[in-house]
Amino acid sequence: MNDVIIHKGEKKHLIITHVADDSAQWRIRQEADSVLTVHLFCLEADAGTTGDVLLDIEQIGGHAETYIYGLGILTGKQRIGVRTHVKHSVPDGKSNQLLKFAVRDEAQGAFIGELIVAPHAQHTEAMQTNRNVLLSPTATMHTQPQLEIYADDVKCSHGATTGQIDESALFYMQQRGIAPEEARRLLLAAFFHDVLTTLNEPEVEDRLQRKIADRLG
Amino acid sequence: MLEIRNLHATIAGKEILKGINLHIGAGETHAIMGPNGAGKSTLSAVLAGNPAYTVTEGEVIFRGKNLLRMAPEVRAREGLFLSFQYPVEIPGVSMTNFMRAAVNAKREHEGKPALNAGEFLKLMRAKRALVELDNKLAGRSVNEGFSGGEKKRNEIFQMAMLEPCLSILDETDSGLDIDALRIVAEGVNKLHNETNATIVITHYQRLLDYIVPDYVHILADGQIVRTGGKELALELEQTGYAGLGKSE
Ligand SMILES: Nc1ncnc2c1ncn2[C@@H]1O[C@H](COP(=O)(O)OP(=O)(O)OP(=O)(O)O)[C@@H](O)[C@H]1O
Ligand SMILES: [Mg+2]
Repeated sequence: MNDVIIHKGEKKHLIITHVADDSAQWRIRQEADSVLTVHLFCLEADAGTTGDVLLDIEQIGGHAETYIYGLGILTGKQRIGVRTHVKHSVPDGKSNQLLKFAVRDEAQGAFIGELIVAPHAQHTEAMQTNRNVLLSPTATMHTQPQLEIYADDVKCSHGATTGQIDESALFYMQQRGIAPEEARRLLLAAFFHDVLTTLNEPEVEDRLQRKIADRLG
Repeated sequence: MLEIRNLHATIAGKEILKGINLHIGAGETHAIMGPNGAGKSTLSAVLAGNPAYTVTEGEVIFRGKNLLRMAPEVRAREGLFLSFQYPVEIPGVSMTNFMRAAVNAKREHEGKPALNAGEFLKLMRAKRALVELDNKLAGRSVNEGFSGGEKKRNEIFQMAMLEPCLSILDETDSGLDIDALRIVAEGVNKLHNETNATIVITHYQRLLDYIVPDYVHILADGQIVRTGGKELALELEQTGYAGLGKSE
C-alpha cells in the first residue's frame, strides 16, 4: 500500500500504468485546497494478468479537488478490478471520476466506485461516470457504483453503462471500404477520446492512442 | 456491371426479397420506385452485404465477380457505393479520419500508394466543392448532429471521394430542400460517365427530372413488377401504385 498525504494547497498528478499483481494500491489523504489528478491506464499486454487497483482517497481539508480518469483494455484471460473509494469528509470538496473499459476475449473487468459524502460535507460536488464496451460475447464487466450521501446540500451524479460496439456504425464504415478491425479501432479511439484529452498533452495522447491500437491488434 | 438473378432474401426469418432479376449495364441509370415496405432498402442492404440479411436463393454478379461471396468492405473497394437512406452518426470519429481510412483502403486494394496528408486534403477540398458541403461539416464527427439534408449531402460527398463504379442512392432526395436537391443531383450527374452506373431509389418524380433514368423499375412486395422508361415514373405520379393494379 502506497500511503500519501497531499498537503495544503499542493497539486499532485499520479499516472498509474502498472496494475498487474496488485501493485497499484493507494491510500491518499488530501488536505485543504489540494488538487489530486489520477490517470489510470490499464493497457498491460500480459494475457492472464490479474490485478486489483485500489484508489482510497479522502478529502480531510475543505476545497480539495479530486480527479480520476482511467481507461483499460482487457484481453485474453486478464482479470482486472478497479475500486475507487472517494470520501468527502469536509465541506466544499469536488470530485470527478471518468473510467472507461473495453473488454475482449474471455477477459473479466470490474469497477467498484464507492463515493461517500459525510454528514457535514455540505456543498460537495461529486461526479462518477463508468462506460464499458464488451468486444466479444465471452467478455464480462462487473460494474458497481455505490453512493452513500449523508449531506443534503450537495450536487452528486453517477452513471454506469455497459454496451457493445455499434453494429450499424461498423457496417457503415465497412460500406466505405474500411476493414472491420480498422473500423473497431477508430470506434474505440473515439470511445476513449474524452479520457485521453484530460491529459492535456497531445504527444502523450498520441502515444497512448498507438498503444491502444496495438493492444487491439 | 451488375446482374441480379432470382434474388431471395430474408430478415428475422421473414422473406422480403422474392426473386429479383435486374441487369444494369455500364453507363446506365436505373430508378427503383415502389411502395413503403416493398423491399427497396432491403435490396440495397443485401447488395452492400449487411449481415442482418440472409440471402436464401439467387446470385449477383458484379463486374464479373460473385458479389455475394465478398465481405462488405471488399464490395466497397471493388466500387459498390451505398448512399444510406438513414446515414449513421459516428460520434468521435472525424470526417477526415473516416474518409482517409476509406480512400486509402480502396487505393491499397487497387495497388496504389496511400495519399499523403497534402494530397488527401486537396482531394477533400475539391470534392467538397462539388456538392457544396460546408467546411464546418467536414471538420466534425461523421454525421453527428448533421441535419437530415446535411447527412444526404454528406453521402454524395463521400461518393465523390470514392468514385464508385456502381452507386445506389437510397432516397437521397428525401430531406433535401429544393436548392440542395439540385446541387446534389448535379453532383451525381457530374460523377456519372460511360464506365459507371447509378441506381436511384426514390418516391418522387421530381428527382428524376434532374437525374434522368434510362429505366424505371417498380418494386412491390419483394419483386420487380414492372419495368419501363422514364415515362413510367410520370405515369406512376398520375395513377399511384394502385393504378398499376399490382400492389396496395
Ligand atoms: N428486422 C426486421 N424484422 C422483420 N421485418 C423487417 C425487419 N427489417 C425490415 N423489415 C421489413 O422488411 C420490409 C421491407 O423493408 P424496406 O426497408 O426494404 O422497405 P422499403 O421499400 O425501403 O420502404 P421505404 O419506402 O419505406 O423506405 C418492411 O415490411 C419491413 O418492415
Ligand atoms: Mg427504404
